[in-house]
Amino acid sequence: MKKDIDALVKKFYEHGYILDDALATSVFLLKNLGKPLLLEGDPGVGKTSLAGTLAASLNTQMIRLQCYEGLDVGTTIYEWNYQKQLLHIKLFEQEKDKKTLGEEIFGMEYLLERPLLRAIKSEVPVVLLIDEIDRADEEFEAYLLELLSDFQISIPELGTIRAKTKPLVILTSNRTRELSDALRRRCLYHWIDFPTKTREIDIIARKLPEIDEVLAAQVVTFIHNLRKSSLHKPPGIAETLDWAKTLLVLNAGNITDELVQNTIGCVLKHKDDVDFVRNRTVEEFLMPVS
Amino acid sequence: MVEIDKTFKEKLIDFTFYCRERQFILGPQDTREAFEIASRGYGLDRKVFQYSLKAIFCRRKEHFDRFDEMFDRFWSRYYEENLEERKKVIKQLRKESETDTLIFMGAKFNKPRKEKEEQEARQTRGANESLRLRFTDFSKVDVVDRERLEELAEELFHQMSMRFKRRLESANRGTIDVRKTIRHSLSTGGLMLDLAHKKKKKEKRKVVFLLDVSGSMDTYSYYLLRYVMVLRKYFKTLEFFTFSTHLTHVTPMLRAHNEQEVLRQVGRNVQSWSSGTKIGECLVEFLNTYGNKFLSQKHIVVILSDGLETGNVTQLKEAVGTIRRKCKTLIWLNPLKGMKDYQPIQKGIVNVMPHLDAFESAHNLDSLLKLEKLLMNV
Repeated sequence: MKKDIDALVKKFYEHGYILDDALATSVFLLKNLGKPLLLEGDPGVGKTSLAGTLAASLNTQMIRLQCYEGLDVGTTIYEWNYQKQLLHIKLFEQEKDKKTLGEEIFGMEYLLERPLLRAIKSEVPVVLLIDEIDRADEEFEAYLLELLSDFQISIPELGTIRAKTKPLVILTSNRTRELSDALRRRCLYHWIDFPTKTREIDIIARKLPEIDEVLAAQVVTFIHNLRKSSLHKPPGIAETLDWAKTLLVLNAGNITDELVQNTIGCVLKHKDDVDFVRNRTVEEFLMPVS
Repeated sequence: MVEIDKTFKEKLIDFTFYCRERQFILGPQDTREAFEIASRGYGLDRKVFQYSLKAIFCRRKEHFDRFDEMFDRFWSRYYEENLEERKKVIKQLRKESETDTLIFMGAKFNKPRKEKEEQEARQTRGANESLRLRFTDFSKVDVVDRERLEELAEELFHQMSMRFKRRLESANRGTIDVRKTIRHSLSTGGLMLDLAHKKKKKEKRKVVFLLDVSGSMDTYSYYLLRYVMVLRKYFKTLEFFTFSTHLTHVTPMLRAHNEQEVLRQVGRNVQSWSSGTKIGECLVEFLNTYGNKFLSQKHIVVILSDGLETGNVTQLKEAVGTIRRKCKTLIWLNPLKGMKDYQPIQKGIVNVMPHLDAFESAHNLDSLLKLEKLLMNV
């Protein structure tokens, strides 16, 4: 068992994603139990990229559904192609009776498939990413329950469509609102925390092999100290990588006050946070993290 | 597939019960999945088994943070520690609680405990452990029960925040939007199949909490603070102040995502924690400094205090009167009200009573949960 999980970690590493043991076990269960995986964590800790890496490691397609307020069945599951239906009625209203016409216009060819239906109907298992589910309304969350527990979708006019192959479903949430217990019950759960200092240095080294070790360590120490400060938005791994890339482009050997003043915008996105850092010296943020 | 022996099965079921006791919401499906992973041989490696159960049993971050410790405690409880040793530890803990030292917000509070009070707490009516704790006065909880009460509070507060959210979501959709309906009908050749509605804009309630953190409120302040932190998830425009001899604006400290971090910050920054009480003076300071910004006919003001004023009572009366005029509703929560035979006869309380819309107790979990109705109906 441990061997399989280690193999998964290795495969993810090859695709540029460093998994810890707990997360690797969750991904392993997602593949083997066939239960959706709900990932929660601060923005920028690698929830979305995990799905992409999983799809890449399995050499399959990733279908992504980005959630937002007001998302409905029409944009996520299916919609009837009204224009095509009307055209069909106009063309055949003289030749066919009403009953036959009615039956014909509610066939699969008049259905516009949206991401969830596409994932269900796929011949090969795909990775279905339902991103930022907390941004969608609760009504949509309720509709998802059927998909997540039985991997089927009910269309009133056509009946129930069952999945040909079970998609690997990953849901992500930033906790901007609390998700229902019904949804949580249907999923495996994993909270992705900010990585430890060593792991974050590994991530930088993996993504930016040309970076100097000392600089990478400085960047990570700086970021970890920032996370310990009370900021509006603590920087995630994505911000760490952005900053490391910027410093690399600028050929920086060490982090200096001037560099911080000029490039801190890559890391912090709130004025108060930027001011907080600009009013302090670099040394304060390069103190060893306890 | 690996054959699971009977003892392991029993232990796994025991562990499910152990988790349920600690407010994990687990159904038969979860137990079945736990058995499935055990039968697949995941139980052979302790870490893999731990992480697998963690993924299945946890529903939220709060569960996730606690799980590893619970897992270790449970399995070591059965495998490593012997029962006699555990009994000794509990005995020791009880002994310590007699001269209990409560370390909270970085400060030590020595609270000599009376046998009688703990006895009373243990005899509080209730059919089971959770119910008993729910009705137990915060000031009478002993060191053994404290951990359980923490867990119960976390779960009940979470459920409360869910209820708050759900009820508001089911608002009506407003009148029919003719213009939008006609526009939508274009895609169906002019047939009005879907009616569009004018969605009413929901007005979020605005709340201001003023929490008394003086010495007399020590045992309650912690739970009231946590209660406010839960409400913050629902009330987007929640302002939070603490007062004793000084007023402190705590809202900026609530920004931290981690609850423990918030508590640490509050502990560091609220200088007058556990000191005297000058309610009137602090409320005047609130009115002068923040009144214009945080008081309007859309605001609900909640004062959490025992009302034991040591300052000027007239000043308190006038300040409360002014706050009442400027806000929509004024609620006073007094932990002492939960005491048997309590009469609001202290000078401070007598003077402010005429200005209050509601005067409620806040001495145990149940009384805090009852406030939900009060806040919903405002």
